[in-house]
Amino acid sequence: MNTRSANGTALQAERTAQGKKPRQGTGFGLDKVVLILVAIYFLVPLATTLVFGLSDGSSFSMNGVTSIFGDADFTGTLLLSLELAIASTLLTVLLVTPTAYWVQLRLPRAHPLMDILALVPFAVPAIVMAFGLIEIYSASTPLINVLSLGLVPFLTNVVNIVNTPPLLVCAYVIIALPFVYRPIDNNLRAINTRVLTEAASSLGCGWWRTFLTIILPNIWPGVISAALLTFSTAMGEFTLASLFGLYTFPIYLNVTGQNDAHKAASLTILSFLITLLCVLGIMLLARVGRGGAGKTRQLDIVVAK
Amino acid sequence: MQVRATGATTTAQPAQAVAPANKARGRRLGYTLTNWLGFLPFFLFCLLFELLPAVMIIQSSFLDSTTNAFTLNNFQRMFTEPDKLHAFQNSILLSLISAIISAVVGFLVAYAIYNLRTGWLRNLLVGFASVAANFAGVPLAFAFVSTVGVTGYVTILLLNWFHIDLYNSLNFSLYTFWGLVLVYCYFLLPLMVLVTLPALEGLRPEWREAATNLGASRLTYWRKVGLPVLLPSLIAATTLLFANAFAAFATAYSLAQGNINLVPIQISFVVNGNVDMDPGLGNAMSVGMMVVLILVVLLYTAMLRRASKWQGR
Repeated sequence: MNTRSANGTALQAERTAQGKKPRQGTGFGLDKVVLILVAIYFLVPLATTLVFGLSDGSSFSMNGVTSIFGDADFTGTLLLSLELAIASTLLTVLLVTPTAYWVQLRLPRAHPLMDILALVPFAVPAIVMAFGLIEIYSASTPLINVLSLGLVPFLTNVVNIVNTPPLLVCAYVIIALPFVYRPIDNNLRAINTRVLTEAASSLGCGWWRTFLTIILPNIWPGVISAALLTFSTAMGEFTLASLFGLYTFPIYLNVTGQNDAHKAASLTILSFLITLLCVLGIMLLARVGRGGAGKTRQLDIVVAK
Repeated sequence: MQVRATGATTTAQPAQAVAPANKARGRRLGYTLTNWLGFLPFFLFCLLFELLPAVMIIQSSFLDSTTNAFTLNNFQRMFTEPDKLHAFQNSILLSLISAIISAVVGFLVAYAIYNLRTGWLRNLLVGFASVAANFAGVPLAFAFVSTVGVTGYVTILLLNWFHIDLYNSLNFSLYTFWGLVLVYCYFLLPLMVLVTLPALEGLRPEWREAATNLGASRLTYWRKVGLPVLLPSLIAATTLLFANAFAAFATAYSLAQGNINLVPIQISFVVNGNVDMDPGLGNAMSVGMMVVLILVVLLYTAMLRRASKWQGR
């Protein structure tokens, strides 16, 4: 009797241990094999690109790398891409963050609308969007003119926005919307916006000051990841820039790649490093702030291209 | 008289109450108006650069590109010209195959990462997956060209060391359908891993305990509990991958320079002034693309809603 109950508890303890730690894999399963094969699939292209970029057909040489820095097109396109990326990042953060806070605080009814606006870029791919933007701002129709409250004719005729960098920046902001709105909104939902705002307001703090000094520091991880994702996307975006005929860094990479594969490989490494830096930035900077969104954080690093 | 007086007071009372109520309603209306006014800048921006381009495309797809008269001709041509139909077939097949391969393999990888007990390795893998998921477009195309392109490193290595000729004897080519599948998996697979990991972490240990207590084996637990709970999340993830692959343009364009027939490449011909395409047909194909993607997004949101049932609390 006594031994039986002892056995029973031991068994139970073992079971709960198993239950609590279901991750005790039975050694080397199928999943581990897959993991290793996939790791090879992911590392080989990177390694060969590195070798390819640092070689000159047969031997090691820095010719590819040095010839890049002597290329005027390289600095020109990289600077243009940097400018575009910084502008879209700033515009995205400035536009989305206050609006998300405003909707959370004063206009919860607009939540579904925000969700839809953040989903639309999924249904309208970059190529279709580029096509539509060019059509609208070069030869619009009366329907569009009326629907846009006269803003389209203004942008078309007075600002002459078609195929210019500013239009590209606006398009990048839209492309970034799905993965900008979600992390910011997740962070806003995780903190008690209303109580924080009311407390600040009862102490005599105005709307903007509340937003800048109280809300913003609390949702910092979301804003950082949104900003860096926008930056990384804008740096690598090809479709819209190519249809607008603007000579950005990815276009330069594409043009170079058709003639000189080694040079293109060096440039590819550079783009990889830019992406790597952005993701590292998100992982490090977002962790500095308080953990609000918890597990959803992992999702925030996902970009839909 | 008295009755009348009481009548008067009773009617006067609501009248008195109505005035502040009106004022309050006016104030509330003003408040609502201010609320919506704060939303206006963002909405106008989305209208100008997000919604109206789509409206314009839909409108133009029903117009003749020379006479501007209403016509269904664009759609009719899209469905009758074999080239255009073939583009849709290729695009859908390519996205479907890449999405399913990435979903199956990605799920296994996510499961392996979920089983890992070494924290730093797990973080490293998740971090790498984030980088790889963001690493798409032109650079990715060139990374693969330097690996398994005609003069790629691995191609040459296989030929010199093992006498395996990828291009001539194995009939492989990076610049065709299966080459694109290989490249697309590079950014779809990590996306699958990143989306699936939180879903796997949502599986409660209690469910496993209950199943084990009732005598279920590992396999039975997965077959009867784990997979059914995960299924909506997995389908949602797969649709996300499909949408990503279907919309992708840069990688395919940069690899094949327009030699492979996909919908985005056909649309790009219109803007670049290719003779085969006219704006009307381009608009119709864009609408076709949007219809496919809207169906996918609807499936995606429906599956997410179903998945959230199990993730509650």
